[in-house]
Amino acid sequence: MTRRRLALVGAVLLVAACVERLTAPGQCPDFCPSGQITIVDTLLAGSIGPDSAFRGYVLAYESPLMLGAHVPGATDTLDSRPIFRINGVGGRFILSATDTGAILGADSARLQLYIVRRDTATHNLRLQLYRLPITIDTGTTFGALAAPFTDSLIRTVNIDTLLARPGGKDPVTGDSAAVMDTVTRRVFLSLKLDTAAARYVVPDSGTVAYGIRLAANNFASIALGKAALGPVLQWYLRVDSLGTTVARTPTTRSAPFASFVFAPPPARLDSTLAVGGVPSAHSLLRVAFPKFIRDSSQIIRATLSLVPAVAARGAPADSFVIEARTVFVDFGGKSPIDPRLGDTTVIHPGSTDTVKIEVTNLLQLWAADSTHPTTLVLRPQAEAQFLGEIRFYPSVAAAFRPTLQVTFVRRFPFGVP
Amino acid sequence: MRRPDRWTGGRAAGTAVVLAALFLSASPPDRLSAQDSQFGIRGLGTPGRWESVRSRTTGGAFGPFDPLSPLTDAPLADIGQLTATAAGGTSNRDATIAGTTTRLRATRFPVMGVAGPVGPRVAVAAGFTTYLDKSWDVTLRDSLLLRGTLQPYTDEIVSDGSVADVRFAVAARLSRRIAIGAGVHVLAGSTRETAERRFDDSTFHTVQQSADVRYDGLGVSGSVLLGIAPGLSIVAWARSDNRLRAQVADTTSAVTDLPLMAGGGLLFAPSPSARFAASAAWRSWSKAGAGAFDTWNWSAGAEFGSRRMPIRFGARGGQFPFGPGTTAPTETAASVGTGRAFSQGRAVIDLGLERLERRGAGLTERVWTMLVGITVRP
Repeated sequence: MTRRRLALVGAVLLVAACVERLTAPGQCPDFCPSGQITIVDTLLAGSIGPDSAFRGYVLAYESPLMLGAHVPGATDTLDSRPIFRINGVGGRFILSATDTGAILGADSARLQLYIVRRDTATHNLRLQLYRLPITIDTGTTFGALAAPFTDSLIRTVNIDTLLARPGGKDPVTGDSAAVMDTVTRRVFLSLKLDTAAARYVVPDSGTVAYGIRLAANNFASIALGKAALGPVLQWYLRVDSLGTTVARTPTTRSAPFASFVFAPPPARLDSTLAVGGVPSAHSLLRVAFPKFIRDSSQIIRATLSLVPAVAARGAPADSFVIEARTVFVDFGGKSPIDPRLGDTTVIHPGSTDTVKIEVTNLLQLWAADSTHPTTLVLRPQAEAQFLGEIRFYPSVAAAFRPTLQVTFVRRFPFGVP
Repeated sequence: MRRPDRWTGGRAAGTAVVLAALFLSASPPDRLSAQDSQFGIRGLGTPGRWESVRSRTTGGAFGPFDPLSPLTDAPLADIGQLTATAAGGTSNRDATIAGTTTRLRATRFPVMGVAGPVGPRVAVAAGFTTYLDKSWDVTLRDSLLLRGTLQPYTDEIVSDGSVADVRFAVAARLSRRIAIGAGVHVLAGSTRETAERRFDDSTFHTVQQSADVRYDGLGVSGSVLLGIAPGLSIVAWARSDNRLRAQVADTTSAVTDLPLMAGGGLLFAPSPSARFAASAAWRSWSKAGAGAFDTWNWSAGAEFGSRRMPIRFGARGGQFPFGPGTTAPTETAASVGTGRAFSQGRAVIDLGLERLERRGAGLTERVWTMLVGITVRP
């Protein structure tokens, strides 16, 4: 009996020994700690500079996308045209393990493209396929292709019309289009090229090059995929087999060279801080990080404000993201960028509103690591994947210079009653 | 004829020790953030009660005469044999201010110690007790004009820890009527303090700062126990602590003077089954600075029945040393308790219940405290 009582007492005590974590609502100042959290907000107007811009980080042919655009402007038209070259099968076709036959020509071909980005608000979007010289390469310019883009049109396809057809197929032309999924809204485009359009030139080993121009009722801007999402050509060949013409279908051919050319070319760099464009441009901002902030307990918000010197360039629908990062070492334009932390903002072409980037993470890193260079890099998040570019006033423009607004906390007076 | 404790023997004592050990070692699932008196938030903290459970359940009146209570040193002279004791208490606190009541809870282990004779007339003791509880957790809701916008936020300021009084004491019985004692007190402890601010606008990162604050100090105490007549004793005691130094990362953040203390008590035992006591104490807490007050405290209590299973009760009153305003908050308490001896008194469990009320500056605290003590005489 007494043992049971002891066990009961023990159980009660164990329950009572559990401690809850409870807080009391502070009734200040009488029943609050004397120390308070002190917040300081300061604008660092003169702490940024010298700054500079650099271009050429990612070139058009290095971009994972081929950009097409037709954006008429007040003074000029932004015109970007994807170009690509697809190597042929050669002069002979392997018929069997011991036999080859001369390729006589092509009955037809099927060109497959992926439109990985497009403005769904664009109406009557048309792709015009041009045959280009097979000599196109990384040095090819927009001007050099002016002639073939004028006289070598081989097909025009209306994307909106094609997508609107049942099953996305045109029974007359043999073209088809399909939205691959509802998330990326990528469009798979398959164009049938007849004998005239799909000329298999044996002296060229069957190599072909094509270019695409865009047209639409209003602004047109698309991005075509490359590599795994790139242009693919399926030949349907006629081959001589011991005097008999036979049909053969080789494996599909992808494009070893895919790029885009555009006009007008990007404006030359000046004293402004350019970010984006093709080839992509970066800007470096060197920050004199004040010791009184570095020594503060904690930075809780830091905002970089940048005033555009001109309206952001680019297709209206192609808002692009720029990011602020720090560098491991400040080597100017070749500074290795610290990939760990970055803060971003979206740039809307045509806008001249002040751009604000929350760079709290970056300043917290500087405060924690005094050896870290206090240099900010502004760059496009997707380099050379948008034609858009923005230019900000530099630090020498006193009225519009970049500024940092920093909110930080002083050390709490711990241990003071 | 009943043979008391026959079955209990070693097993009962063992069970009691296990239960007490379980109780004392029971830990919460989350980090401890107990809540002591809200009056102590702006002051040094909540002063501990240097009493065993037996003394505390008599309102503290038996404290000056209790060799297991670290209040006075002279009663150690009568400890008789090696004795270890520990106590634990769980408090449920209702803090009412401006019509709003908040329920708070804390578990503490305010006393642990060991004492024993080292000669025919000399005994020594070592142990610790809580000098200042410094655990509290305050949440605030306010707003701040930041970047041209009123930003609402929630603050949570937390202190978790205490300052312990580590005592080394010696006592001697000089004669049948007189015993004296003295002690050295090392004050040591730490608190983990955290200050956090969460803005409603998450663009502002959460402010989170924390620090470990270490405390140290030193004190001495002395006391005299006089047997006036058979069954009648008085005690007088005094203690002086120098200062409490707070250090954060080896930098002294505060130095606070600590009080002088003095007190006395009267014990009357007209029969072996009836004991009465009363005591009073004065502490010069006003030395600690603004918001601190000198205090007077009194207590009276009684113990009835055999020492094997007595009934105890008592009351106490006086002032709390810290609080806003111009006068010290007041406190009154009543307590009741009992004990149970096992194995011919080799193990004792004491249980108690205390009801405390503190008032001052618009705040009223009402506290239920359940106390458990374990005493072992191997």
